[in-house]
Amino acid sequence: MKFVGNTLSIVKKDILLEFRAKEALSIMVFLSLLLIVVFNLAVDIDKDNVSSLAPGILWVVFAFSGVLGMGKTSLSEREDGAYLNVFFSAVSMEVFYIAKVISNLIFLLFMELFTIVSFVVLFNYDALIKGLPALTLPLLLGSIGFSAVGTLFSFLSTGSRFGEIILPFLFLPVVVPVLIAGVSATDLILNNTTGGALLKWLKMLAVFDLLYLTVSLMLFKHIVEE
Amino acid sequence: MLTLIDISKNYGLRPVLRGINLKIDKAEIVVLFGHNGAGKTTLLKISAGITPPTRGRVVVEDQVIKQGGIYYLGHKNSLYSELTVMENIRFFLSMRNGTAMVNSIEETLEEFGLWQRRNDPVKALSQGMKRRLALMKGIISGASLLMLDEPFSGLDLGWKDRVLNKLMALREKGTSLFIATHLINEGCQIADRVALLERGNLTLFHDKTEVNESLIQERLRNEVCR
Amino acid sequence: MKSFRLTKMLLLTLTVLFPLCFYLIFQVAPTERIMGDVQRIFYLHIALAISAYLGFGVLFVSSIIYLIKKNPYWDCLASSAGEVGLLFATLVLITGSFWARPVWNVWWTWDPRLVSMLILWFIYVGYFMVRKAVSEKSRRARYSAIVGIIGFLDVPVVRLATKWWRSIHPRLDRQEGGLDPLMVKVMLVTLFTFIVFASIVIFIRFRISWAEERVNTIFNEMEVSHG
Repeated sequence: MKFVGNTLSIVKKDILLEFRAKEALSIMVFLSLLLIVVFNLAVDIDKDNVSSLAPGILWVVFAFSGVLGMGKTSLSEREDGAYLNVFFSAVSMEVFYIAKVISNLIFLLFMELFTIVSFVVLFNYDALIKGLPALTLPLLLGSIGFSAVGTLFSFLSTGSRFGEIILPFLFLPVVVPVLIAGVSATDLILNNTTGGALLKWLKMLAVFDLLYLTVSLMLFKHIVEE
Repeated sequence: MLTLIDISKNYGLRPVLRGINLKIDKAEIVVLFGHNGAGKTTLLKISAGITPPTRGRVVVEDQVIKQGGIYYLGHKNSLYSELTVMENIRFFLSMRNGTAMVNSIEETLEEFGLWQRRNDPVKALSQGMKRRLALMKGIISGASLLMLDEPFSGLDLGWKDRVLNKLMALREKGTSLFIATHLINEGCQIADRVALLERGNLTLFHDKTEVNESLIQERLRNEVCR
Repeated sequence: MKSFRLTKMLLLTLTVLFPLCFYLIFQVAPTERIMGDVQRIFYLHIALAISAYLGFGVLFVSSIIYLIKKNPYWDCLASSAGEVGLLFATLVLITGSFWARPVWNVWWTWDPRLVSMLILWFIYVGYFMVRKAVSEKSRRARYSAIVGIIGFLDVPVVRLATKWWRSIHPRLDRQEGGLDPLMVKVMLVTLFTFIVFASIVIFIRFRISWAEERVNTIFNEMEVSHG
């Protein structure tokens, strides 16, 4: 199972890099906070509307924060041509892609947890904490979807003239199903309706993840040729 | 080891390489001369498989892959600037599945003058040190074919000769080298065969005795004046 | 000039099909009970939509073939089909508005079909954004092929997601009971006309693009041999 070892090496390297550089994660986290504040100023969240607004706001924050962070993580590979370390090694580009998806996933989950906690604190929305165990599945599945698409497009955009700027334009339309499913699932969980409807959304997320992980895995190697 | 068959490359309307044929054998050093912008970098990138040619093929023998693979060094150093020297080396070797080597690099680090700075982040190193680190990686990589683009660029005084010796030592061990450089003196010193890239066309000097610096300089000068 | 003859023939068929089609739409098709004459734009709207999907389908398949064969022919075809598809998609969204406004008094609805067309529109704007952002030809072809493939696969998923989403919320009901059989016939003729039209436009656009490509290649080869 050498590829497991290689994947872990790359993921460990990414976490170490992030720990040192503190670029992607700190940007994601601060942007989340800022967005929540801005949302409140724009929409005026109070205890009456918080349960209907929370799912939407949370997932928009996840998407926007996430796309910014993922754009940054491919920069460290492109900047000095560091990804060539893997390109010319025995490790395949498929393994590299999976490792990058995992690294981005970890950062996304961190940011999402932070966002949720901030939301609870700023709006006294305890239902979010109570619903957290049930929320882990949609969060995980949705983040995998974000990461699968985001990692691919992140490398693509940093290989272009405009850089990470075009990433949101590519990423956001494609992850619309994740947003819809994520918001719907979150809404169902927070407002205590469960059953068949929730399962349906989780299935959609799972199918999206499977589809995009597979397709991106096959397409990724075409990006790293210069 | 490596065969270039009728390689042509166009960037838009501009032909950069025209019908290049070249064969690199085991344990030989082929040096590529040419003006800046003559296409040396492009040819090296195509040989390494990073850039696709517009026409032609690159054939890499199986034994190259089996016996350690390829190491490519371009203008960039392929280093993670936030990680330390040791961390970069450790990651590089782990990709090449040679982590056992980590313990025996002490001597090599000394030879490259990097032992003192081994726990410093790469961004704190000088340009010359970074280049040395990149070259060191190539030498410990165990690759059977090294492709180096301007390896001596940015090296501090005195290091050029030391690096030259180390590269020649590699050849003694059976490694092949394909080096592009504008340093005619050093290039002629180290080369088994010399190739000259002029306006996209490759001229091969098979017999090293035919070649000397003044010949190359004359050719290059004519190139400019034409 | 075999292909030129084919184009001429197809254009000729269009000179028959288009008038026939419009005659059918405006004279023959029965007036819709509830919406009145403005409903006739429906025929164009649907035909444009299907043609847009056709364009993107061609883009999708060409992109896959390009990544396998690396022949610039397929990249040319993909971008030509994309241009036409994007144009038609824009028209769909605009004609949709023209229809919705007099009928329901709204400029836009969040109906699954409209939403998926809108998302597809964004995806293909992204496709051309990527083409603009990469200057090197082979890289541009590869990168845009990737966007084209990922984007096209997204369409059914978006469609399904919006359908499920909309089924929970109250929606602007669109009465679509059975269609009058005559309407169906008119729809089919219109559909056929527009598919032929879209195919011809893609074909012509592609020929221009491919001719450019071949001129460039010849130019290069002249340079090489005369060095």
